[in-house]
Amino acid sequence: MDIVACIKRVPDTSETDDIKIDASGKDIEKSNLAFKLNDWDEYVLETAAQLKEKLGGSFTAISVGPKVWEEVLRRALAMGADKAIRVDEDVVSLDPGCVARILSKVIEGLRYDLILFGAQSEDFGSGQLGAMVAEMLGVPHATLVVSLETEGKVIHVCRELEAGALEAYSIELPALLTIQTGINRPRYISLGGIKRAMKAELKVISLDNLGLSLNGLTQELKLERLEFPHRGKEAVIISGLPRESAEKLAHILYSSGIF
Amino acid sequence: MTLADFKYSDVIHRCFRCGYCKFPINWMDVNNCPAYARFRIETYSCGGRLWLTRAWLSDEIDWTEHLAEILYSCTACKNCEVKCPLRFNADILNMIVAAKSEMVERGKIPAAVKEFLENIQRHGNPYGTSRAKRAEWIEGTGIEQYHGQDLLYYVGCVGSYDTRAQQSARVLGKVMQKAGVSFGVLGNDESCDGNEVSKLGEETLFEMLAEDNIAQFKELGVQRIVTLSPHSYNAMKNDYPTYGGEFDVSHYTQLLLRLVRDSKLDISRGFKAKVTYHDPCFLGRWNAEYEAPRAILHAIPGVELMEMERNRDGSLCCGGGGGNFYIDLLGGSESSPARRRVREADETGANILAVACPTCLTMLEDAVKAEELEDRLAVRDIAEITAEACGIE
Amino acid sequence: MNGILVVIEHRKQALAEVSLQVLSKGRQLADQAGVELLAVVIGKDALSLAEEVARWADNVLVVKSEELELPLAEPYQQVLASLIKERKPRLVLMAHSSLGIDLAPSLAVELEAPLATDCIDIRTEDGSILAVRSIYNGKVHAVYSLSSSDTVIITTRVGEFAVDESNRQGHIEEIALPFEEECEYKKFNGCVEQEAYGVDINQAEVLISVGRGIREKKNIEMAEKLAEVLGGVVSCSRPIVDCGWLPSDRQVGLSGKTVKPKLYMALGISGAFQHVVGMKGARMIVAVNKDARAPIFSIADYGIVDDIFKMVPELTNKITELKLKNSKG
Repeated sequence: MDIVACIKRVPDTSETDDIKIDASGKDIEKSNLAFKLNDWDEYVLETAAQLKEKLGGSFTAISVGPKVWEEVLRRALAMGADKAIRVDEDVVSLDPGCVARILSKVIEGLRYDLILFGAQSEDFGSGQLGAMVAEMLGVPHATLVVSLETEGKVIHVCRELEAGALEAYSIELPALLTIQTGINRPRYISLGGIKRAMKAELKVISLDNLGLSLNGLTQELKLERLEFPHRGKEAVIISGLPRESAEKLAHILYSSGIF
Repeated sequence: MTLADFKYSDVIHRCFRCGYCKFPINWMDVNNCPAYARFRIETYSCGGRLWLTRAWLSDEIDWTEHLAEILYSCTACKNCEVKCPLRFNADILNMIVAAKSEMVERGKIPAAVKEFLENIQRHGNPYGTSRAKRAEWIEGTGIEQYHGQDLLYYVGCVGSYDTRAQQSARVLGKVMQKAGVSFGVLGNDESCDGNEVSKLGEETLFEMLAEDNIAQFKELGVQRIVTLSPHSYNAMKNDYPTYGGEFDVSHYTQLLLRLVRDSKLDISRGFKAKVTYHDPCFLGRWNAEYEAPRAILHAIPGVELMEMERNRDGSLCCGGGGGNFYIDLLGGSESSPARRRVREADETGANILAVACPTCLTMLEDAVKAEELEDRLAVRDIAEITAEACGIE
Repeated sequence: MNGILVVIEHRKQALAEVSLQVLSKGRQLADQAGVELLAVVIGKDALSLAEEVARWADNVLVVKSEELELPLAEPYQQVLASLIKERKPRLVLMAHSSLGIDLAPSLAVELEAPLATDCIDIRTEDGSILAVRSIYNGKVHAVYSLSSSDTVIITTRVGEFAVDESNRQGHIEEIALPFEEECEYKKFNGCVEQEAYGVDINQAEVLISVGRGIREKKNIEMAEKLAEVLGGVVSCSRPIVDCGWLPSDRQVGLSGKTVKPKLYMALGISGAFQHVVGMKGARMIVAVNKDARAPIFSIADYGIVDDIFKMVPELTNKITELKLKNSKG
């Protein structure tokens, strides 16, 4: 099976409480943040790696971003990707529609049976990229996929609905799926594996190579400004050493009729 | 990798399951391997792991989550090495680490180990807490950033982020200040020493951490280092030279002893207590330093030192090594090594359990609570005891 | 501007709660701009549900189908594409639900319409439409303007907008829009409800919920002990189910259950919106987390900033002590 996986590098904003808006006012200050592979994309890579191990074929990883994004493509190569492609363009300021257009152009030129995207990204979380690319390429798609089985030229998938219900589909290849967390357990990628992947093929192309230009890509969403959310009423914090705060809380629960 | 490619393939079969790896010095019972003490099945002893490793690499058994947990329950305490009577004993712990390496390469490790390693890669510490918070423990102490002072005071991840261990990090700083030691810390620029990473089998990550630290130390002109944790002491003294890092490394108990002997610290205030000392694995069995901590305790007026039966190279590991202070594969039972150890300390009649390692400190203090011994046994770091003897608040 | 069109979702002969939220927001925007609010209901039960939709919408368009019972992306895309090309609404609204996620992006590409997803607010400013999105783990809000003076599409965050009471009597119109219910290359094989593994967290008065902070499966035991002394049950956030440590029927949140217990204790849970939306209705919320700025603290009533491994055993002890004391006296 020929698989194409589209992945992304994101800042780790889960731990930091110290987010600042940068000088341009259009993005956050990132110099003090750690970066990583988008959580959903870990599941994408694991899905692709498992399919390749089971069925053979090729596995190509694609990213649209500046040079530092190569670290996530190296992870893909360490997971078993044969080939990695980076489109050299900083997409932070591009809306999903433009990124979709770029990715469709790249994928058009490749052989593919299955195209995989993460269901959403940790930074902007719009969750629309995969389905847009599917429509642009004219292939059927299913989003929020939590299970996947192959049967020759057909795949059987389950999509996640609200309240734990599932929707089952049988889709003819070629198709595009966006992958939801929990579909599998992504393996650990050792640094040794990544080091070895440094020697593997990583192709860099420009928008020019794709017959595209930044000017030619019309932005449909224009970022006007960034704001900080209103925090609202904060919890009453119970302080003290564990034993003390536990005692205070126990009394609060008791007097509230919890037990 | 198959068994044939395994580095120790020519000797691994030689373990004939004598079981000595589980014994302490006095052969009193078989509970000196911390994992065996916890689970009481052969699987969890060094010998058990060697046989399972052999079976796994020869494809006799499949990888399972349980197999990974068995391997990772090894705390790298070295009790097995010390007790094994066979000629390959110097390698048996290395074999377990090599087996863990193979699991790491295949990407098949327990979820908490994956988190541990990924957190270190991203944030420089296993907790996944931001680097920007690493220096929070320093607030209010007046401890300076390193800029060429005599000593680099290397704190480590546990001392920097664990709330109980932070207390001992601060106190040690204050003791050194009182003694007029010229030292500085790296603060937010400090990164994991890599000792646990190496024992978890992620060699390449350890290499990267070591090389980055060495480059940083060299750039700052560091020559002498004193560490809070024996884990850092072990990595920097024994492993960093391989990567070009030749520094004069001491553990803080060695420094404190010198200061006491050179009369730089006035401990006449004393510390009146019955104290028993727990040898940390990475200071004791790994680096043969049993006497410096004891010498300090002997020197402090009022300290009545009582030895546990398992002491020095027979000490029972607290169960925190091999990343287990975080991944916690040995907890959750009264058979946990930490809980056994505090019961043993209590039996000596001591009211203070002295430790010289931030990992032992948190592991054993939690165990004292779990054993409900708080009213008669307190865990104190040697730095804290020394501080009290000097009259430092 | 031309009217606003709301896409209605329904299941098992009932309108989806999210559709009422979207209708309410649509009504608000339509009133502000002085334009018409249209709603489209598609499928077998469309006509029977139109009256309820007409409480908010000025005009309800019913597209009947003998076969289509559930909201599915392909047939809905066909219907909406023709409808929108014909009626040219200025703004198309739907929920960022599992349907919206599957449908809106491909619809937007087909119509070459700008799309903003998962929006927490919609504003109009000088004739342009602004969409507000929550980004970077909810730490920042981004305000976007959608270019184009033709149709734009916005999907709204589930649970973000309140359902406003409304009692209009909008006009209901059945329209004929041919579409293919069945898709050759993408066969729908039915829906599967969630499996029940024995514990119904909806029935519990006390829920002790664990999140990523629990680190290892066996640490869930400590939460179980706490649940036991409080007469409750253990539930969890998504990552715990993803790892396979608890079955999916214990999951609280957007793709799990919505619960309203007397006490919801969040242990090592950061408070991401997908989780919060499932438990914010609890009578009392207590959070324990070592990160002082975790979002959970802004919806909790009480919080403890500390290590859950130190707190939970202490709490279990203190509660046990207190119970003992009070049972003797």
